This record gives sequence, structure tokens and C-alpha cells, in this order.
Amino acid sequence: MKNNIIILGGGQAGIYAAREIRQNDSKSSIKILGKENLLPYERPPLSKDFLLDKKNEEDLYFHSSDVLKDENIEFENVSISKVDFENKKLFAKNDHVYSYDSLLISTGSENKKLSLDNNLKNDIYYLRNLEEAKKIKEIVSNKNKITIIGGGFIGLEIASSLSQLQKKVIVIEIGNQLMGRIIPKQIADLVQNTHIEHGNEIILNKQIEKITKKNGDYEILLNDNSLIETDFIIAGIGSTPTVKLFENTNLKLDNGIVTNQFCETSIKDVYAAGDVSNFYHPFYKRNMRLESYQHAQNHGICAGKNIAGVKTEYTSIPWMWSDQFNLNLQLTGICDEYDEIIERGNDINNGVIYFFLKNNKIRGACGVGIIGKVGRDIRITSKLSEKNTIVDKQTLSDQNLKLNKLMQK
Amino acid sequence: MSEENWIEVGSTDSIEEEDLIRFDHQDKTFCVYKLTDGFYATDGICTHEAVHLEDGLVMDDEIECPMHQGIFNIKSGEALSPPACEDLKTYPVKVDNDKIFIKID
Ligand SMILES: Cc1cc2nc3c(=O)[nH]c(=O)nc-3n(C[C@H](O)[C@H](O)[C@H](O)COP(=O)(O)OP(=O)(O)OC[C@H]3O[C@@H](n4cnc5c(N)ncnc54)[C@H](O)[C@@H]3O)c2cc1C
Ligand code: FES
Repeated sequence: MKNNIIILGGGQAGIYAAREIRQNDSKSSIKILGKENLLPYERPPLSKDFLLDKKNEEDLYFHSSDVLKDENIEFENVSISKVDFENKKLFAKNDHVYSYDSLLISTGSENKKLSLDNNLKNDIYYLRNLEEAKKIKEIVSNKNKITIIGGGFIGLEIASSLSQLQKKVIVIEIGNQLMGRIIPKQIADLVQNTHIEHGNEIILNKQIEKITKKNGDYEILLNDNSLIETDFIIAGIGSTPTVKLFENTNLKLDNGIVTNQFCETSIKDVYAAGDVSNFYHPFYKRNMRLESYQHAQNHGICAGKNIAGVKTEYTSIPWMWSDQFNLNLQLTGICDEYDEIIERGNDINNGVIYFFLKNNKIRGACGVGIIGKVGRDIRITSKLSEKNTIVDKQTLSDQNLKLNKLMQK
Repeated sequence: MSEENWIEVGSTDSIEEEDLIRFDHQDKTFCVYKLTDGFYATDGICTHEAVHLEDGLVMDDEIECPMHQGIFNIKSGEALSPPACEDLKTYPVKVDNDKIFIKID
């Protein structure tokens, strides 16, 4: 049967879903509607190699327009401003109307904005898309003292890149450690030390009271009355799923669009995937929302299969990374359900990993090390956790013992 | 095929099965693998970003990059999983008297 399939949001989950639908369904029409006038591209380099000029725009695209043409996938640059799920229609700002038989929502997430009482909205920069990355890159080229509000992954990656561009960088974080509570404090501290060694200043436990503009520069007043002078401000204070469009509809929302293990939403023929979806994970028997490259890809693929009629559960073990200076940090599984923590290694040069165990099985792990040093062990960890293997704790904690010995053939 | 291009890597028992070793020659780095059906060689650096694949995980015929889980087929070099999209260069390998040799261009 020939269906009319629309993918709302032309990011990573959207493009992977589109190609997967085509693999399983040669007849249906597939159209991606994207607000950015760009083919789907990778966001991770925006805070890293793109700022550092090691990658340029052409390097970021997932696929060329030829691939989409060959697979008969249409991409249209349009911003959707209204949905009518009952009549299966989407309305664009330019009055264009799109009808669908099946809809995938992959609108991603958007940056939280600082609530400032004065007219500084256009003075604070945020990083989510290529346009913003280009603007930041251009402006920082003639700035020296840069303040980053928020010590999460994206803020710290920007701090690392700007430091490598010889800028003086200050990071202000409201919490008592970097990267939030999900990261073990010991790992957050190792990352913090690396920033400090490279000359970045890290301020923890401080809140912004007020920002004032002075002769083109800024003065930031903190809640301990200290003042920071800076000539450019970037904020990375977290993100929220892009769901405004659906707020007055029947679509079930709760920290994103609620979906089951088949990427199905509360409305028939409407699916959601990627950052925007709060999905049920059958392995962990709970809902979760993830913002990660691997998840956007695999969840998009899973949604694509289900839309094409190949009923498929989403069972991917979560995994994400962050690169800062010469460090690579990785997280796998879930790190908030455990009855025991085991540490492997204590030297960043060889990698340090914290395993989170429940009933002698690994639920999750977080590791950091000089580039290349934790990836293999984290990958093996994902496999051990996926297979519910009862693990030998001595092997986990002793870096001289190889983890692959724990894998059952 | 001239004999000069074959470079000795080491003895066959220097690699465990389903594992790899790094081999540096002049200014280049290679990875030499022992799979169930023999020895193989590829470039030693991931095509995505400059990280050594020696720290990666070998699974069946695949090597997975330790940095972002890009996956390559060891025998063909084909990039199988993003973010890796550029293929990895492969090199012929021969075994002579329990010694492994790779042929570099
Ligand atoms: C700077 C940065 C660095 C990152 N680094 C890493 C990293 O190192 N490792 C990692 O694992 N993950 C990283 N991520 C996360 C990863 O990139 C995201 O999880 C992934 O892009 C999510 O894919 P998605 O398809 O759900 O959403 P997106 O890729 O965000 O795509 C959503 C698209 O939908 C469009 N859209 C929204 N609303 C509408 C509308 N009404 N009409 C039309 N179009 C609309 C948006 O404009 C956007 O183009 C990073 C993200 C950012 C921003
Ligand atoms: S460096 Fe190998 S996948 Fe990125």
C-alpha cells in the first residue's frame, strides 16, 4: 500500500527514520519537513571541531542530496506552526497544508534560555544549530575574555574549544560539580582539573544575580557579590524537548512526547523519536528521554521500521560521549539505579571507570580518560549489562585484568 | 610484487585471537588483527578523528573505534556505522615461518 509519510523535523532521528522506511517500503512517499534550511547534519562537532576549524560545514551532513534523491526522499525547508491530528494535517507558517497517513515527530530539543530582566536577550548566545555555531565562531574571533554560563557537556565542550583558540574562559556553574549529578563527582573533578590545567577558570556553586552591559562589554554579578568582567557570554543551561506545537492537542506529553517501545505516541499513526521522545525502555522497564547521537540514530531507525510495518521494539542500551581537550568521557546504561559502585583505575592517562551495579549486574557505567582509553571497556560494559551477566567484581576493579574475559561466548 | 614492500610485523603468537596489535613503521601506524580465519591489517588511525584503533574492540570481523563507536569491517575496511563514514585502508598480510608480514603500498 502506498502511504503518505511525513517526518516533522529534519535532524538526525528524522533522516535515519526516512532511510529506514525506504529500506522496507519502496512505494510510499516520504517527505521530511525541516525548519533549518539545511539537509540533516551532525550536531556534536558544532561545539568541538567546527569551532576549532578542524571540520567545516560540508563535513557535517549525514548524506548528500544525491542520496536522498536516489532513495526518493523529499526534503522541504518549512516551519510547521500548527497540527490537526484529527484530520491528519500540518500547517506551515506560509499557509501551506500537508496531509499525512503516518507522521513521525522528530523535532529534537531546544536550549533553555536565561531569564533576564533587562534587554540583554540578543547579547547572550546559545548553541544548538549550525547557524548559531557560525555566529559564535565569527564573533569570538575578536573577543578575548569569554564567560560560559552552565557547566554541562555543551558548555564545557565550548570552553575546551575556546581555550584551544587561546581565549580566556570562565565557566560559571550553579551546582556543586560539573556535568550534573548523573556523573560521579570524582569524574567531574578529573574533568574540572583538566580545564583548570589548560587555564580555564571554573566557578561552582554560584548563581547569576545580574548582567549589565558596559561599553560593549559585560559585568556579571554573582550571588556572593563578586563581579566578573567579560566581553562575550554563552549560556548552556540545559535543554527541553521541542513540543510547544503540541501543547493544546491530545498528544500525551510528559517531559517530551510519551511513546511506547515501538515509538508509537498516544495518537494512532503518530510516532516520535530522538531528543523529543520520552520513550518506554523494555529492558529498564521505565520511561526515559535521552539526548545523544547514538540514541537519535537508533531510535530513528526503530521508528522507521515501525512506520514501515516492521514491528520492532527499541532495546538499545543508552550510550553517549563528550570530548573535552584530550579527554573522552563516555556514559552507558543508567547510572541512577544501583546498590554498589565499583571503581576501575585512578589515573586519567589509563582511564577511570565507575560501574553502577544492582544485584551483581551492571546497570550503567561512566568513564573518562585520555582519548581512546575508556571506549573499549565501556563498550564491553554495555554488552555485559545487556546480557544481564553476573560480573566478577575483582575483574571490574583491576585494570590489569581484561574486561572481555567477562563476556560469555 | 617486489619482496621489498613486505614488512615484518612480529611473530604469529604476538597477537591473541580476536585481538589486534599496533604496528608503527616509519611515520605510519597500522593495526594487525588475528581473526578466526587468519591475519589482517588496516590503517591504525580511525578515519573519523585521529584516534588509535589499537584501543578499539574487535568483534568477529569488525573493529569498533574506542572514541565514538564508528565500526569498520577489518577485511574490506568498509565503514559500517556512523560517525565513521570514510573507509579504512587495508593491507595484504602473509605469514612466513610463523612471522607476520604486511605489504605497505
Ligand atoms: C552542540 C551540541 C553538541 C552535541 N554533542 C554531542 C556529543 O558529543 N555526543 C552525543 O552523544 N550527543 C551530542 N549531542 C546531542 C545530539 O546531537 C542530539 O541528541 C541529536 O542531534 C538529536 O537528534 P534529533 O533528530 O532528535 O534532533 P535534532 O538533530 O535537534 O533535529 C530536530 C530538527 O527539527 C527541527 N524542527 C523543530 N521544530 C520544527 C518545526 N515546527 N517545523 C520544522 N522543523 C522543526 C529543528 O530545527 C531541527 O533541525 C550534541 C548536541 C548539540 C546541540
Ligand atoms: S574517532 Fe573513530 S568514530 Fe570518531
